[in-house]
Amino acid sequence: MSGLLDKERIVAKPGFNRWLVPPAALAIHLSIGQAYAYSVFKLPLTRALGITESGPGDWTQTQIALVFTIFIVFLGLSAAVFGRWLERVGPRKAGVAAAFCWGGGYLISAIGVRTHQLWLLYLGNGVIGGCGLGLGYISPVSTLIKWFPDRRGMATGLAIMGFGGGAMIGAPLADILMKHYATPTSVGVWETFVTMGLIYFVAMMCGAFGYRIPPNDWKPAGWTPSTTNVGMVTRRHVHVDVAWKTVPFILLWLVLCTNVSAGIGVLEQASPMIQEVFKDKVSASAAAGFVGLLSLFNIGGRIGWASLSDKIGRKPTYFIFFALGIVLYSLVPHAGRIGSVALFVAIFCVIITMYGGGFATIPAYLSDIFGTQFVGAIHGRLLTAWSTAGVVGPLLVNEIRQHQVDRGVPVAEAYNTTMYVLAGLLMIGFICNLLVRPLPDRYFMSDEELARERRRGH
Amino acid sequence: MQPNEPTGSQPEPGNWGLVALAWIAVGIPLGWGVFMTFKKAVLLFH
Repeated sequence: MSGLLDKERIVAKPGFNRWLVPPAALAIHLSIGQAYAYSVFKLPLTRALGITESGPGDWTQTQIALVFTIFIVFLGLSAAVFGRWLERVGPRKAGVAAAFCWGGGYLISAIGVRTHQLWLLYLGNGVIGGCGLGLGYISPVSTLIKWFPDRRGMATGLAIMGFGGGAMIGAPLADILMKHYATPTSVGVWETFVTMGLIYFVAMMCGAFGYRIPPNDWKPAGWTPSTTNVGMVTRRHVHVDVAWKTVPFILLWLVLCTNVSAGIGVLEQASPMIQEVFKDKVSASAAAGFVGLLSLFNIGGRIGWASLSDKIGRKPTYFIFFALGIVLYSLVPHAGRIGSVALFVAIFCVIITMYGGGFATIPAYLSDIFGTQFVGAIHGRLLTAWSTAGVVGPLLVNEIRQHQVDRGVPVAEAYNTTMYVLAGLLMIGFICNLLVRPLPDRYFMSDEELARERRRGH
Repeated sequence: MQPNEPTGSQPEPGNWGLVALAWIAVGIPLGWGVFMTFKKAVLLFH
């Protein structure tokens, strides 16, 4: 079994079609993307004992919500810790490990729900599932960038689009399964966890076994790489242990963190926000439609912006994200004041494309600055910014809103200050992006060091 | 990775049938998810 997973076994044979790699990556990202749809289990889990309504001993929504926080924290931690291991052992072994963690996490959680032990839910879905999430997320990044040196943004955008799409599959699938398994004595959650765990395990194993890595120095037919650095794009490589201590890494960490904090805060609060701002105008079902629309723009932005970044460059792409984002967040209170639902929805649709685009463009940005040799591991370490944003963003939006309401501000206007604060957050990201510069020569590995790393399997 | 592996530019790849199959395999669930989300999103305009 171990031989099958070895990096040497997955070096592509001549004539291998590189377009087989993105669907393999998508199989994994579509599976782990279910994390974004975890909220569909929230209400049924609060009725696990009472069945028709929450009874004595049932878990609260706050207790269930903690699973998502653990997900996000362990996503960043595992990506940071195991990124270098991934570069050494290759994407197949990492993909298989992710499949075991993600699928196994669901099975452990199923036991937790069946026996009503919350800690098993935190361990299964949260800790182990979170590790699967992190490993699965970064597993194809380095491989795709090496297969598509001519279209790095588009290639990683395709995979990361799958992460957004995973929630679109996971939410209705979970809903259908829970209805199917529901009985007078069960809300159908543990059975759904078992089924989804097995489905995702199989899908992720298919993806992991579909991974192939290109031979060293492979390049697409008809594509000639520049022998010198072009603008922000380097042709050399920085070691991961050096990269994360450099100023551009810190700046890009802040770029991702600010962009994600603003977007994730809004995404998490989208449904109640539109209902509170447009009281009597937007119903709960219309608000659910708004959330659905944001999901569509989220995945559209991932592939759209990442592909555009191949044409205009990563720095200009982030320049647009932040400059346009600041204007749009500042316009939200105006849309609320004039009562324009259409303007409000349009603003957030554009904002969410840039949130998704930020995720999808960052791996290519990293490979431009630090080279492709360790980009998976470097990206893994950068994802701690996502973990931070996953906690900070929603906290910021909820706390500022609550503070405003407590001060007597009408609920419909309670988000105005939040939007200005988020615009300020984007200003920090805007400045950080402007400060990103190519690295001086001393940070790059020499040819001898690079050869040595490649012999060691990196 | 083996240091003596073939390097350089490769000939135009084949296996386009397999590529189509792989994309269909991931495209169907993704398309279903997008369709379900679109159905939900339409409620906003009613």
